[in-house]
Amino acid sequence: MRENKNTPSQLYTDAKEVDRPFLLIINNLLITVGSIGLGGYWLFQNQTFWQKIPSTADQFQAWLLFILIVGLGSTLLVGLWKYKNWARTGISFIFLIGLVYFLTNEFFTVATAIFAGNKALKIKELGSIIFTSLVHITTTCSIPLLLLIGLLKFAAFFNEAPAQRRFIDRTVRYFLLATALSAVLIVFLIIIFTISEAMPAIEKIGLENMLLGTIWRPGSATETQTLGQFGLLPMIVGSIYATLGATLLGVPLSIGAAILLAEVAPKPVREVVRPAVELLAGIPSVVYGLFGMVVLAPLVRNFEVPQNTGFGILTASIVLAVMIIPTITNIAEDAIRAVPHNYKEGSLALGATHWQTIYQVILPSARSGLMAAIILGIGRALGETMAVIMVIGNSIAMPAPLDNNLLTLVLSAARTLTGNIAVEINYASGVHRSALFFTGVLLFIMIMSINSIARSLMRERSTQ
Amino acid sequence: MSQTGSSSITTLSNPLVSNSQTATHNLARRKTAQTLAFMLIWLSGLIAIAAVVWIIGYVMIQGASIVDLEFLTTRPQGGMDGEGGMSTTIVTTLYLVSLTIAIAAPLGIGAAVYLVEYATEASRESIFIARLISLSRSGVEILAGVPSIIFGLFGFALFVSAMKLKFSLLSAGLSGACLILPVIIRTSEEALLSVPRSLREGSLALGATRWQTIWGVVLPAALPGIITGIVLSIGRIIAETAVFWVTLGGSYRLPKNLLSSGRTMALHVYMLASETRAFERAMGTAAVLIIVIIILNLVINYLSRRLTARATGQR
Repeated sequence: MRENKNTPSQLYTDAKEVDRPFLLIINNLLITVGSIGLGGYWLFQNQTFWQKIPSTADQFQAWLLFILIVGLGSTLLVGLWKYKNWARTGISFIFLIGLVYFLTNEFFTVATAIFAGNKALKIKELGSIIFTSLVHITTTCSIPLLLLIGLLKFAAFFNEAPAQRRFIDRTVRYFLLATALSAVLIVFLIIIFTISEAMPAIEKIGLENMLLGTIWRPGSATETQTLGQFGLLPMIVGSIYATLGATLLGVPLSIGAAILLAEVAPKPVREVVRPAVELLAGIPSVVYGLFGMVVLAPLVRNFEVPQNTGFGILTASIVLAVMIIPTITNIAEDAIRAVPHNYKEGSLALGATHWQTIYQVILPSARSGLMAAIILGIGRALGETMAVIMVIGNSIAMPAPLDNNLLTLVLSAARTLTGNIAVEINYASGVHRSALFFTGVLLFIMIMSINSIARSLMRERSTQ
Repeated sequence: MSQTGSSSITTLSNPLVSNSQTATHNLARRKTAQTLAFMLIWLSGLIAIAAVVWIIGYVMIQGASIVDLEFLTTRPQGGMDGEGGMSTTIVTTLYLVSLTIAIAAPLGIGAAVYLVEYATEASRESIFIARLISLSRSGVEILAGVPSIIFGLFGFALFVSAMKLKFSLLSAGLSGACLILPVIIRTSEEALLSVPRSLREGSLALGATRWQTIWGVVLPAALPGIITGIVLSIGRIIAETAVFWVTLGGSYRLPKNLLSSGRTMALHVYMLASETRAFERAMGTAAVLIIVIIILNLVINYLSRRLTARATGQR
C-alpha cells in the first residue's frame, strides 16, 4: 500500500495505457476463471444436493453464493484493469492466503510423515519425503507467488482517490481501537469467568469454611451434595511458607547480584553475569522442577529426620529462590542505576569508601525501586506453579514440624494454592471444580494486591 | 558509622598525632568492611552464575546420553514407562507457537500502534475514548502481572468448557495468546516510541495519510523491535507449562487438526517426570528445550545489539 508515487503513476498510466504488463493480463485471466469456476463449483455442489432434498432455500443460497463470488471477482477484475489500488491489495491478500494455506497443508503432511511414526526414518526415506514435498510446494505455490511478486513490482501503476484513502484511514483507526481494547476485554473475561465459576462454591460451602477450614477432602462431593470438605487454609499457609522461604534465600542473593552488576563489577564480568541472569529467566519452570526433583530432593533427603522425603518446603524454597533471581536483579539494577551520579560523587568526595557510598547513599535513595523489585519477586514466587508442584510434595495436610525440633517444619511437605489448582482441575467436577476456581480467585486477589503495591512504589520512584 | 566513639577523647589530648592515627585506623577499618561486603556481593554473583551453570550443565550432560536422531524423530509410546522419543512434542510445540503468534501478534501490534500513534490525539477529542484508552493501558498492566495458572484456569473455563473446544490446540492457542499479549504490546510500544518523530513528520508533510505513514514508514522502522518482542513471546510459549497443562490435554499423538489434543515439549517433561519414572527421557527433552531457549536468547541479543547499533549510528 505504498501509494506515495501517486502523481507520476497517473501520468504514466495516461501515457502508456496500451502497455499493460503481461502479468496483469494473466492476473485478470486468473480472476475471471477463478471466480466463475468457484461460483460454478458452489452451484454444482448444491445441485447434487438438491437432487436429494429438493428445497427452494438451497437453490436460492447457491445462486446467491454464485452471484456473490462472480460479482466480487468481476469487481476485482475491473478494479485491476483500471489500476485501482484497492483491487491490488485485495488480490494480493487473496494470493497470500492461498500461499499460507498451501504451505501449512504441506507442513502438516511432512510433519506427519516424518514425526508421527514409531521408528526413526532412514536418511533415504527422509530425503525422498523432503524432495517430494519440495516439488509439491514449488508446483502449487509458484503461480500465486509469481503473481504476488508481479503485483508488488508494478505497484507504481496503481493509484487511489483521496476520498478512498481517507476512508481507509478512518476505518483502520477504529479497527486499531478495537485491538487496543482486547487486553482490557481479556481482563474482564478473566474476572467474570473465574468469579462466576467460583460462585457455587461460595454459596454451597461458605466463605468462612473455605478460608478457615483446615481439611481439604473433595473426594465424595457431587453436583448435589457437598460431602467433601474444602478448607483452603493448608494451601494458603503452604503458599506463604514457600514464598517466605524463597524470599529469605533469594532476596539477599538478587540484591547482591544487582549491586555487583550496577556498581562493583568491571565491564567484562558484567557481560558474563547479565546474560547468565537473563538465561535464568528463560529456563522453563519444568526444567527447574525436574532439576529439583532429581538433584535437590535427594540432597535434602540427607537430613536425617523421620518422614523426610526430600520433597517439601525447603526444596521448593530453593527452587523458587533461584527462579526469582532474574526478576529482582533486573529491576533492582535499574533502580540502582537510576540514582543520580552526583549523589555518589558527593559521597565519594567526602571521603567515604565505595561500600559506604553504596550502603548509605545509593541503596537508601534506590529504596522504593528495590522494594518494588522484591515485591514483584514475591509475586512471581507466589504465582509459580509447575516447578513448585514437582518439588513440594503436594500433601493436603497442614504443614507441621516433622519432630520436636521446630526447624523441621521446612522439611514438611505442603501444597500451594497454585498447585492445588493445577493438580486437581483436570478431573474435578461440580462443587470441587468450583472450589478450585475459588482458589484461583483467592490467588488472583493476592497477586493483584501485591502487584498494585509494587506498581505504586515504582510510580513513586518515577515521580521523584 | 561508629568510627568516632573512643578515639574522640584522644583527639582532644593530642590532636595532630592521634588525628592521623585515627584516620588511618578508621580507613583501615572501613576498608576491611568494604572488602568483606564486596566479597559477599561477589559471592552472590558467583552463586547466581553457579546456579545457571549447574542447572544447565547437569541437564545437558544427563540429556546428552539420551538425545540422538532416533530420540528426536520417534514418537512417545505413552504408558507408564515413558518409552519412545519426543518427535510429536516438537511438532506440537511448533504448531502451538505459530498458532499463538498468529492470534496474538496482530492484536498486540495493533493495540500498540493505537496506543502510541492515535491515543493522545483521540483522547483529546472525546472523554469517552480517553477513558477507554486509560482503561486499556491499565488492562495491559494487570494482564502482565497475572500468574500463568490463572490464564490456564480462564482458558479452561472459557475455551475448554464454555465454548466446548475441549482440550485442543485451539483452546491452548487462545489461552497462550492471552498470556503473551501484554509482552507483545509492551515491546511493540517501546519499538514504536523509539522511531524518531522526524520520520513521521516527513511522511505526513509529503501528503501521506496517517495510516499510510504508519504502514509505510513507522512500522518498517520499528520492525526489529517488534520482532524482538515476538521472539521473546515465542520463548515464553515454549517454556510455558501451567497454561497448557489445563488447556492442551496432553495426548502424546500428533494433533491432526486444530481441535485435537497434544503435548508440548515442556508438558512432555512434566508428564514424564510426574507420571512415569523415565527421568532420563525427561532430562533429554529438557536438554532440547534448553538448547532452543539458548538459541532464542542469542537471537534476541543479536537483534537488540543491531537495534542499538542502528540507533547510535543514526545520531
